[in-house]
Amino acid sequence: MATEAYAARNPAEVHTDVLSNARQACYKARDAFYACVEKESDKKQTEIASKGLLYPAECKASREEFVKHCRTSWVKHFDALYCKNKSLKRLLDDKDSRKGV
Amino acid sequence: MASIISRTVNHLRHVNRSVIRSWLPNPPPPLADSLQNRHLPLLGQSLAIYQRSLFSTTPNTTTENQRNPEPKTTENENSGNSGESGEGSKSGESSESSNAGKSIRGGPVSWLSFLLLVATGAGIILYYDKEKRQHIEEIFKASKEVKQGPSVGKAAIGGPFNLINHDGKRVTEKDFLGNWTLMYFGFTHCPDICPDELVKLAAAVDKLKKDAGIEIVPLFISVDPERDTVEQVREYVKEFHPKLIGLTGNPDEIRSVARAYRVYYMKTTEEDSDYLVDHSIVMYLMSPEMEFVKFFGKNNDVDSLAEGITKEIKQYKK
Repeated sequence: MATEAYAARNPAEVHTDVLSNARQACYKARDAFYACVEKESDKKQTEIASKGLLYPAECKASREEFVKHCRTSWVKHFDALYCKNKSLKRLLDDKDSRKGV
Repeated sequence: MASIISRTVNHLRHVNRSVIRSWLPNPPPPLADSLQNRHLPLLGQSLAIYQRSLFSTTPNTTTENQRNPEPKTTENENSGNSGESGEGSKSGESSESSNAGKSIRGGPVSWLSFLLLVATGAGIILYYDKEKRQHIEEIFKASKEVKQGPSVGKAAIGGPFNLINHDGKRVTEKDFLGNWTLMYFGFTHCPDICPDELVKLAAAVDKLKKDAGIEIVPLFISVDPERDTVEQVREYVKEFHPKLIGLTGNPDEIRSVARAYRVYYMKTTEEDSDYLVDHSIVMYLMSPEMEFVKFFGKNNDVDSLAEGITKEIKQYKK
């Protein structure tokens, strides 16, 4: 299966969804979705994204755009990255607040 | 070392002797006599033996040997007089055999030995201290020095490879001789990192051309041979830089080139068709002889990349 996918045996199969235009569209949708999550961070997080990320119902539309424009593995990757950054930021912020104590 | 130990022992014996002397004010031969007179031969004998053993191993001074026959004869007389148990004869023998360097009275020998001990100890301490200080200074100086120039030895990165470029042509490392090369390992289905790095790579190539007039060949090697076909790679590298060359191959060839260049890559097997490849994010600068010169990690931006490359090229030409 793997060797069959190699080289000129499948010439027509160029995955265009990783080329520049597709990437740019994906990034845009991704940024829009995460901006929405940030903005609505005070709302109740009811929806489940992936990799443990939750988001409020207000961002459902941008989530769908995001998922449409990006490959599934990329969506998961970006979700995991976002969660990691958020927890890191929370850790750093918490540490600062505790410094005074 | 042994002399130090013997001197210490002698010093201790001297101390011991002086303690015993203060405890028993009479000098030893009369003591043995007096004990015998009191009809306590065994106690006297053991005491005499003990005292003889104290005096038996003091350090050698020739002056003492002259005095030795006198106390020896008196002691032998005493042991002869008491002479019942085997202990007596034994002590006599031991006193005979240990005649050399016997000092009966405390005197210059013991003080001298003590002084020698102190002097040797002090000398050793001073010497050790000096050596240690020197050693620390050396280390301190060595760490402060800024090491200029290339480091000693070469990292064992690089090696022959046999891959297909994005035009479908077979290439080996020999095709890249004569030019400086900047290699990056990645895969086309990479979400964000590879595109960012390749953009950086392209910008650095342009910057080098513009600022330093250096022509450098950018190279992209795929670590995802199963999905990165020649066409895929061609479409991919086309978008970054016209000079960017993309290489791919079959899984074995990719594995051998990744091993030669110490690049880690691992498929994150989520699903069969859609997966990401975890890989080391690194750019290698290779000399015109296709030898490894320097690597650049993810933390370098375009400017530091261009500067680093310029520096290495200038240094290399020297």
